[in-house]
Amino acid sequence: MNIQQNQSLMEKLAILTDAAKYDVACTSSGVDRRGNGTGMGNSIAAGICHTFSADGRCVSLLKILFTNECIFNCSYCQNNCNSDVPRASFTPDEVCELTMEFYRRNYIEGLFLSSGIMISPNYTMDLIYQTLYKLRRIHHFNGYIHVKAIPGADPLLVEKAGFLADRMSINLELPTADSLKKLAPYKSRATILKPMRQIQNRITENKNEVALYRSAPRFVPAGQSTQMIIGATPEHDYQIMRVAESLYQKFELKRVFYSAFVNVNQNSELPMLPGGPPLLREHRLYQADWLLRYYDFTVDELLSESRPDFNIYLDPKCDWALRHLECFPVEINRADYRTLLRVPGIGAKSAQRIVKARRMNTLDFQDLKKIGVVLKRALYFITCSGRMMYRTKLEEDYICRNLIGDKTQIPKEIREAGYQQISLFDTGMELAP
Amino acid sequence: MYTFICNDSPNGILSGIYDAWDFKIKQNRKFHSGEAAAPCSHTDISLLCREPENYSLFCEYLPVTESEEKSDKVAKTILKRLGLEFYDTLLNAILAITPESRSAPDKADAAYKTVVYALSSPLGAAALNDLANPYVHRIFALSRATGAEAHHLLGFLRFSELENGVLFAVIHPKNNALPFLAEHFTDRLPQENFMIYDENRRTAAVHSAGKNFMLVDASDLNQDILNRFSQKEQEYRSLWQTFFESIAIKARTNPKLQSQNIPKRFWGDTVELRTIGP
Repeated sequence: MNIQQNQSLMEKLAILTDAAKYDVACTSSGVDRRGNGTGMGNSIAAGICHTFSADGRCVSLLKILFTNECIFNCSYCQNNCNSDVPRASFTPDEVCELTMEFYRRNYIEGLFLSSGIMISPNYTMDLIYQTLYKLRRIHHFNGYIHVKAIPGADPLLVEKAGFLADRMSINLELPTADSLKKLAPYKSRATILKPMRQIQNRITENKNEVALYRSAPRFVPAGQSTQMIIGATPEHDYQIMRVAESLYQKFELKRVFYSAFVNVNQNSELPMLPGGPPLLREHRLYQADWLLRYYDFTVDELLSESRPDFNIYLDPKCDWALRHLECFPVEINRADYRTLLRVPGIGAKSAQRIVKARRMNTLDFQDLKKIGVVLKRALYFITCSGRMMYRTKLEEDYICRNLIGDKTQIPKEIREAGYQQISLFDTGMELAP
Repeated sequence: MYTFICNDSPNGILSGIYDAWDFKIKQNRKFHSGEAAAPCSHTDISLLCREPENYSLFCEYLPVTESEEKSDKVAKTILKRLGLEFYDTLLNAILAITPESRSAPDKADAAYKTVVYALSSPLGAAALNDLANPYVHRIFALSRATGAEAHHLLGFLRFSELENGVLFAVIHPKNNALPFLAEHFTDRLPQENFMIYDENRRTAAVHSAGKNFMLVDASDLNQDILNRFSQKEQEYRSLWQTFFESIAIKARTNPKLQSQNIPKRFWGDTVELRTIGP
């Protein structure tokens, strides 16, 4: 390992930030906590983005590894023990100093602390716990903390850290146990799912405690999350989404994050991806993820064994609507909230506004536009007082052709990052069956 | 037709609402006693928060004298009958797009008509949901604009530590987001002395440790003190810049997405993007 003595704080920060950057989750959401008048910090449920890095991703938390001197050899990870990257470790005091001074200057919303496995899982988890303890109890930091639970660490340490953090996460890394065995031999499904279950149970217990004693200490109030790497292994979208769905249902996760694979180690066993990371695929997975969490869809409605991947050209909701034209058109002034949610171009917010606004007035297309409905997508699927906006046909081919013409189907930032080659006249374009 | 001309400030517009309503009642009283020829309704009255560019022929222009007493009365009525949420939305809309105010000259009128609508209809505060009503929609849109910019600034604002330990931040918002920001940071940094300076409006929010904040006029701010930073300040700025550069993934570089998420007008007031920004 490439370990140097006497590194400055600046060098350590550069190394350990670089080592943490492939972790996706940087949200500071899920908990509302007022300042306590004496310490420093509060927390806003919506989360706050403090800046955006050159790749356009939100920077909300000080996202660092405690150490990258890792004893594991997961082949997708740049910090695996065989790779030749500079190594460094913080001390708990250094992490506290950085967090407090950055937070005071409003650079960050809090701390995101992850770590490579140094010496043993317990040793690492203990260092993380010490850091959180100092931040909360000595520096009286009252802002957001997201901390990783280290797979294989003692449940007691995980629990103690959970009382100091707002959100905890354990990365699932890969969607299936087989892939995990192949790429991360020291990790197993069991060591990942066990602490996940533990945290879930403790959160449930804690809710009861808080219901009974209002001032009982909170355990992981912003819930737990996880992340999966997309495109390193041959799983289809269907498998990935099934895993995500069961995590939401069986483990009550707040979020599942998807991370487009970047081959950092130039490892020959992993795909090379000459076209860059699979960003469009990642985008479609996030769109579908939102449909699961906020739009009342199930994975089996969106994908199936025979159609295991998302349509590249259309977002999952449009794709679903085109295959279920029997549900349309939807009458805006009558349809219930759940039906409105399923219309392409109507989001959760517009649906809520429609339901409220139509109590006072009959809505027409102009009103919908004001409310925020994306009419260029919705117009094929809705009527206002029995009329459609234009003379459109409720035909799959016709609507599909018009929707694909809409450039927002593939977001601008992805189109410009290398997907310009897609055109209507590309061969092999498949319409939804 | 009657147009009331008021100042473009929360006080001014709320006083305007008071005067307009008062005028309508007096006018109707005159009509019933035979002094005036016709009754007056709210639709005959409009509010304007700056001098009109064109005067119309059959319209009487009446100036509004701003007073705390009038605006307090209106605020109390709104709070009592329509609730805090309605009041917050209305106030956010009133704070939208000053100082030049060119883009929202209709906001005073929209505020007036929305208050009239909410108080006179059985809906009460729920009148704000009636987005098909043009005035209500205007208030909704303006209030969202202020709210969105204020929320952006909660993250994009940067404090610098001055030589005397005070935290100082400069902002250049389109809408008047300062009151909202001051409240947030008072809750967040109760034990700090800080000052947020809105250079567009030359006002500042000043907070001293353990107390509540104050909004003050800052047109005669001493620029000299503001450029003397503490010894550690530069060090933390460089640490932050190092972090900011290291956190980006090269394979995903995407400047368009970046400037879509943090619009360039905010870059100049940040630490990490100032050198690249306009």
